[in-house]
Amino acid sequence: MTTSSAYTADLVAAQVQAFLTERTKRTWEPDTDLFAAGGVSSMFAMELVVHLESEFDIVISGPDLALDNFRTVKSMAELVVRLREAEQ
Amino acid sequence: MTDAAGLADLIAERVGDQASGWDIAGELPRDLLVELGGLGVLCAQVSSEHGGPGLDSRANGELTASVGELCSSLRSVMTSQGMAAWAIRRLGSRAQQHHFLPRLCAGELAAVGFSEPGAGSDLAGISTSIVDYGDHVVVSGRKVWVTAAHYADLLVVFGTYGGGATAVVVPADTPGVRIERVPHPSGCRAAGHAGIVLEDVHLPADHVLGGTGLPLSLIVTAALTYGRMSVAWGCVGILRACLAAVVEHTDTRVQFGVPLAQHQLVARHIAELYVGEQTAAWACEHASASWDSNCPDLVVDAVLAKYTASRAAASGADRAVQVLASVAAADGHVVARAHRDAKLMEIIEGTSEICELVLAEHARGRTGRSRS
Repeated sequence: MTTSSAYTADLVAAQVQAFLTERTKRTWEPDTDLFAAGGVSSMFAMELVVHLESEFDIVISGPDLALDNFRTVKSMAELVVRLREAEQ
Repeated sequence: MTDAAGLADLIAERVGDQASGWDIAGELPRDLLVELGGLGVLCAQVSSEHGGPGLDSRANGELTASVGELCSSLRSVMTSQGMAAWAIRRLGSRAQQHHFLPRLCAGELAAVGFSEPGAGSDLAGISTSIVDYGDHVVVSGRKVWVTAAHYADLLVVFGTYGGGATAVVVPADTPGVRIERVPHPSGCRAAGHAGIVLEDVHLPADHVLGGTGLPLSLIVTAALTYGRMSVAWGCVGILRACLAAVVEHTDTRVQFGVPLAQHQLVARHIAELYVGEQTAAWACEHASASWDSNCPDLVVDAVLAKYTASRAAASGADRAVQVLASVAAADGHVVARAHRDAKLMEIIEGTSEICELVLAEHARGRTGRSRS
């Protein structure tokens, strides 16, 4: 397993972008709103939660499930870094 | 991890031959539910840290199928308790998980309220409100067709909250809570379906899971995913019960000089039931594998499993009634129960049509346009 210090926001963002590209067949800028019109479905939001948990060994529950945390690549990267730091 | 087979044997021993009588009476013995609840088997995926058996999805699935084979009403109570536990685990803070989950493994019974008079498949239309007053909240609204609400000590109720939505844990004896039993459900008759009326129900703020407004579709999907797995595995149990009854009957019942099984038109029913049971089990095993490996596909795989298994159960039970004929035309008979219970499984936790919309969207390139 990768050590937590290796997961900077940039690395997480790159990984999330790769996952999104694989699943949605398009590329996502760090600030693009995934859930705006033409974006992704609400089912996919749950898939994102599970993916982030599994990939970065975190648990996302309670208030962290707020949609704003999943709205952009950047916000997801910030969430992951914050939760990993809280685990230390 | 606890021994799932041992738990299944224990439940089979407790149920014995009573499921038929429970179906006719429309009631499960409360002391049995409390005993099983106290063993944690009604929500067997709760971790040992929280006092549960800590089964993985696959082992809990096999346990659920074994209960579904005996009694879909009892299995429905398991589905409700497990879904309540999962909602608390998913939406609750750590403190809330530590507070509520051990209670669900110590004999307290739980139910989860989604549907309302004006919001079934379209859950975005829920009007139950959870209003924040600082140290307390006030819950008002009406839920319908809540499985196991008749038995429940704790009600996990979904409602609007803080610009989004969340769920709140409502002790059933709180002033302002009224449970109105569905008088004569057509299936899972002893599962304790009831409506919940909430009139200005005051609760401590720490009963609000998450403590903030969350996207309704996300949290409903989170909770329903567990329910869909449980219903799907329960349907595998229904199919196993039907298959066993059909094999036994067609081996012993003689018409036109030979056992029924030797008539080719009857043999087709046996084959189709077997195919239904096997395919449903594979879909469930696949979804549980996704769950246990925390694969993002689990969300859609759970829908696929529920859709496949409930349809197989409904058509399989239909065949079983046809083969057993007058023998299965008596209320309480395992196949008569299966026939009524399986139909409801095509409706509960997302109708077959809602499942089809999800699956179609998934097939159209994994993600579609947002409907929210």
